[in-house]
Amino acid sequence: MAVNGAQIVIDRLSHMYRPPHGKPVLAVDDVSLAVGEREFLALLGPSGCGKSTLLYLLGGFLPTETGSITVDGKPITGPGPDRGIVFQHFALFPWKTVRANVMYGLKRAGLPRDEQEKRAQAFIDLVGLHGFEESYPSQLSGGMKQRTAIARTLAIDPEILLMDEPFGALDAQTRSLMQTELLSIWERSPKTVIFVTHDVQEAVYLARRIAVMSARPGRIKAIIETNFDRRDPHLFKSKPFVDKVDEIWDLVRAEAIKAQGTRST
Amino acid sequence: MARIDDTLAPTGAWLQGPRFASVLRACGRQLIAWSPVIVLLIAWEAVARSGLVTPFMLPTFTGVLERIATDTASGDLPVALGMTMWRALAGFFISAVAGIALGVAMARSRAFNWFFDPIISIGFPVPKIAFLPIIVLWLGFFDLSKITIIVFNSIFPVVTATVVGVRGVEKELIWSARNFGTSERALTWDVLLPAALPQIFTGLQVTLPIALIVGILTEMAMGGYGIGASMQTASRFADSLGVFAGIVEIAVVGYVLVKLMSLLRARLLVWHPEALEPTTA
Ligand SMILES: Nc1ncnc2c1ncn2[C@@H]1O[C@H](COP(=O)(O)OP(=O)(O)OP(=O)(O)O)[C@@H](O)[C@H]1O
Ligand SMILES: [Mg+2]
Repeated sequence: MAVNGAQIVIDRLSHMYRPPHGKPVLAVDDVSLAVGEREFLALLGPSGCGKSTLLYLLGGFLPTETGSITVDGKPITGPGPDRGIVFQHFALFPWKTVRANVMYGLKRAGLPRDEQEKRAQAFIDLVGLHGFEESYPSQLSGGMKQRTAIARTLAIDPEILLMDEPFGALDAQTRSLMQTELLSIWERSPKTVIFVTHDVQEAVYLARRIAVMSARPGRIKAIIETNFDRRDPHLFKSKPFVDKVDEIWDLVRAEAIKAQGTRST
Repeated sequence: MARIDDTLAPTGAWLQGPRFASVLRACGRQLIAWSPVIVLLIAWEAVARSGLVTPFMLPTFTGVLERIATDTASGDLPVALGMTMWRALAGFFISAVAGIALGVAMARSRAFNWFFDPIISIGFPVPKIAFLPIIVLWLGFFDLSKITIIVFNSIFPVVTATVVGVRGVEKELIWSARNFGTSERALTWDVLLPAALPQIFTGLQVTLPIALIVGILTEMAMGGYGIGASMQTASRFADSLGVFAGIVEIAVVGYVLVKLMSLLRARLLVWHPEALEPTTA
């Protein structure tokens, strides 16, 4: 797929896990996808279909063996702070406090100490963790850990933001606040966002384009454009929005059932 | 050993009120915790005084304490203790630094692992103390050969604990550091060592008593100054009070070291969800 102006080009990408014991697992199968600069793309798909794997490949943590990924025309060779990732399981440093976790990336970026502190504080406040700066991850709830992870990655202001179910551990209220925050950050500072979620409504609300993945091995099953006025307070109840969510739900559900089927055989 | 400073604080009217009650409670807890040791010591004293055994076979505990007091006053004990501790701790620190470095290298580098893994596996169960005569030939009779033997015995638990700990570091943790631009070299300090610290520290806690024991054994075998050497001399002169004094001294020193390690562990691992230390004591 030759795409003009696309920032991230994934071309015929496959990934096979080869565990030292046990059978190889084809997690990503022949995925091609182009993501434009400043685009907000959501990635939907049943559990185990390879969403995290795809993000790991984009992050440069797993080697690209079959197919290619380029960012701004250059193939990915390894991890880097230009592609900030929020891991599904947070991956916070348990020996660092919330503040030290958020400051870590800033320190690595070479910011002066007071700048690190100011910026870390701003992002801790942004995710609503004021008062927990000196807590260790083991003293936080799942949702608080997740917000720390989000703050830590947002703080380095990456050009590309890879988010793996970043609001999965949050309650409905906090989730909605975080969605609004993410959108306003995305609108304020130019970023390409690839956002993995299980929540169809969230995908339709946040993204301009939604890639639906098939059950394992993960392929792109459909790409759906959405464009709703996010400032509409009644958006979630409006007919076009609800219809869109239903339409995508049907696609995802079909794949989830397939995934169930493959698991039970 | 909870809150010693609380019990010692000499503040005015502390004999009344809740503070006094809590001090009493703390003393009570300590008494219960130590009662097995106290019972053992009373039994020792009783048996020694009963006339069932000769004072040569088992001197009284109070006699041993007196002996420790005179040895302390004469300066013999402080010198011996200093020498023993210096070698044990030097050996321990060398084992710690070298063992952790080797363990990290083995966990991260295939080549290192290929070379050292079989050596470690074979070397661990071998009684290294048996090489004492050879080490003496190579390095002489003094501290260098003693410390070398200590290191050879106490490095193994550190290496194996470090290898297991570093290998067990979650890959997402490493990735998240790499994501922020951390280089492979910085990774060791930033992620591998702190993440593996619980296991590494357990290895250190296992190895510190080994360093002490081996240190004492080397003194017994080679002489020189030290608690082990004093015990050996006492034994040669049929001075059973001296031998038992040595045993009590080692027990106390060992206890203090083990206790310090678990305090240090609690200090270093405040972040860790572990509530219990993997040591008794
Ligand atoms: N390290 C690994 N070794 C072997 N197989 C793996 C490994 N990691 C993932 N897999 C397999 O690859 C497939 C895709 O995993 P992945 O984590 O990418 O799924 P996912 O879409 O993120 O799922 P979820 O929504 O549950 O997070 C799964 O079927 C899983 O069994
Ligand atoms: Mg996943």
